[in-house]
Amino acid sequence: MRTSLRFALALLWLATGIHAYANPLPHTGDLHQHPAWLTLVHYQPDRFGDGYTSQADDDSFFLSKQGKTSPEAELDATLRAITQPGRGDDHARCRFPARDRWLRQQLDLPSKAANCPAYDEWAEELNTETVTLVFAASYLNSPSSMFGHTFLRLDPPREDEETNLILANTISYAADAAAHDSEILFAYKGIFGGYPGITSIQPYYEKIRLYSDIEHRDLWEYQLNLTQPEVDMMLAHTWEIRDRNFDYYFFDENCAYRLLALIDVARPGTNLLDEVSTHAIPSDTVRWVVDRGLVEEVYYRPSAATNVTHSINALPDEHQTLAAAIANGYVDADAPEVRVLGDEERARVLDTTYDYVRYQSEADGWPREHAAPLSHDLLRERSQIRGVAARKGPPEPAIRDDQGHATFRASISGGQLGDRNFSELTLRPAYHDVLDPPAGYRGGAQLQFLRLDARLYTDNDELQIEQLTGVEIRSLSPRNQFFSPLSWQVGFGARRTDTETDRVFTPYLEGGAGGSWQLASGTQAFAFATADLEIDDDLRRGYDAAPGADLGILHQSNQFSLLGGVKTRAWIVSSQHRQDEAYLEGNWHFGREFSLFAKFSREDHYDRYRSTWQLGLHAYF
Amino acid sequence: MKKLIAGALLMGASTLAFAQPGCGVGAMIWKGQSGIAPHVLAATTNGTFGNQTFGMTTGTLGCQTNQSVQSMAMYMESNIDKVARDMSRGSGENLDTLAVLLGVDEADRDSFRKVLQDNFATIFPSSETTSGEAVDAIVALLEKDESLSKYVAA
Repeated sequence: MRTSLRFALALLWLATGIHAYANPLPHTGDLHQHPAWLTLVHYQPDRFGDGYTSQADDDSFFLSKQGKTSPEAELDATLRAITQPGRGDDHARCRFPARDRWLRQQLDLPSKAANCPAYDEWAEELNTETVTLVFAASYLNSPSSMFGHTFLRLDPPREDEETNLILANTISYAADAAAHDSEILFAYKGIFGGYPGITSIQPYYEKIRLYSDIEHRDLWEYQLNLTQPEVDMMLAHTWEIRDRNFDYYFFDENCAYRLLALIDVARPGTNLLDEVSTHAIPSDTVRWVVDRGLVEEVYYRPSAATNVTHSINALPDEHQTLAAAIANGYVDADAPEVRVLGDEERARVLDTTYDYVRYQSEADGWPREHAAPLSHDLLRERSQIRGVAARKGPPEPAIRDDQGHATFRASISGGQLGDRNFSELTLRPAYHDVLDPPAGYRGGAQLQFLRLDARLYTDNDELQIEQLTGVEIRSLSPRNQFFSPLSWQVGFGARRTDTETDRVFTPYLEGGAGGSWQLASGTQAFAFATADLEIDDDLRRGYDAAPGADLGILHQSNQFSLLGGVKTRAWIVSSQHRQDEAYLEGNWHFGREFSLFAKFSREDHYDRYRSTWQLGLHAYF
Repeated sequence: MKKLIAGALLMGASTLAFAQPGCGVGAMIWKGQSGIAPHVLAATTNGTFGNQTFGMTTGTLGCQTNQSVQSMAMYMESNIDKVARDMSRGSGENLDTLAVLLGVDEADRDSFRKVLQDNFATIFPSSETTSGEAVDAIVALLEKDESLSKYVAA
């Protein structure tokens, strides 16, 4: 009995002793308020109150039950977990290698390497020395892609020439949308939440295939100057958030956002996330990364479409015609008129034709029965020509996408509507219109969001909202013998409309489709069939609709942009009448920060003529 | 280093979790339309459909024991049209990638490119050739070549 009591006491002593020895938890003080900790667990200050909430929407990302809203509880739980004895993949040190590393540094804990087979193998296979931020630019005839897309590439050490970056891996964060979800559901869930966002790893060649070959987007590769420990920290954190759900929101918590968080984790104090307000446009996030001095070098990888356009333009006219004839099946790839060409010329024609046929198959859905045998013939012929390398790709554009004008625009102007003078203030949060400085943007593409035009009429000091543009997209894509894209436009919002007696503020929806033809470099003429719909109580039947036409000329250059034309609309529901308008608008660009603009239009509506002119200044922030 | 690349590539493959249909199956060089959902909206809102895959099926994968050849087959599977293009021209980054995956030394690169260009019609006898068949033909050609056979030894 005495023995057993003594034994029990000894056991108790031992137990408390071990406890005291195993958990010499250091005092953490305010460490849970440390910006690096807040970044590691993705805490954001609450909009109301002074607490924090993590953006992670996944219980397995937290070690404390209160982890989602309590940085302190999560830090304590993490500290307890990583100092527990034990080893193996399920240990907290292996599940949260970045937190482990950071806490040990901060608290001077012994940093004996953890034994994590799965994580170690993963990191070793990723074999990353440097990290490159890749930006997929917008694609041809698709202004809606203007926002771009970003992902990270993990580059292996460059030991020799043969280090091949197409085989490198990439990290991206994307909405995990079910393929059968309709676009409307996709939009709804994207804006209001509902899609899980997943961090995934894929080889770069799969990305090239998607962006460069299928979507025709040029890729810009920004090699970051992260040091090896910073790269290791980024990978460690990628491991932590891999397969963890962070709900995806299109406008702010999107692809670019999560990558910024990874860079913030890699280099504490970078605070890229502080730049994000209501939206994170990938091209803007690239600017922030460049501004923070994170970029070592920039490389350009033209898309399949950019390549094919370049090689077509490099062919002399008669060879262009020949290439078009082969591509359309009028001339065979091994026809005498092709074979008669010199080796180099023949190689250029065959290469260009092949690239063009591939482009058309992807972009325009050329049927396989036509494209596949033709492609095979072209390559078989080409393989007979030895010693002629493919032509060099297009040169890198002088102005990168991230060097174009800033996307927020504010304008002040003065003008006259009929005989009333007004001054106008316009705010446009995003993004670009065809008259803005074109460098760094796709020619003929326009995408505007949430533009507000407010007017103060000086005769009676009346303040009026002239127009509120929800979204406005316009795409002018020239047609030629190789490409026949549709030009189109769509927009909605609310605007002032003339009811003969008054100008009322009316919701509208407008759209159009047509063609565009290049007249000279930077100048194109376009013709659109248009449709307008306006809905308002002040209209006799509550709404009105108008088919119409819009013919014009657009010139874009780095010094001066001009848009002029004639528009006609036939209102057919509430009141039958025509509305005809001639318009001319010019912008003089001063660098990429300012433009002076002048607008003039003359309108024939309800059988009376009225002119509007306006003169002002755009500033880009 | 090369091993690591091949390893990473195969890791990519395993995370895609595709079925292995056996030997000789593979993507045709020139598939039809890729059938991507209209992506105007996805692009506007910079989301992507996370579950897009590009017809990943295996070619010779599963029959060949040589890891480099398996990696090459994987790569050919999703890039066969570009590999065929570079092969016909006798140069290009996709051809270089094949060489890297097979571990072809710098000194042997020229003859590697030349063998593949010279034998284009053997590797791709028709427009119905699949990536699996092309891989088999490449392996057979390299096996016959004195300086290149070591890269495809099982």
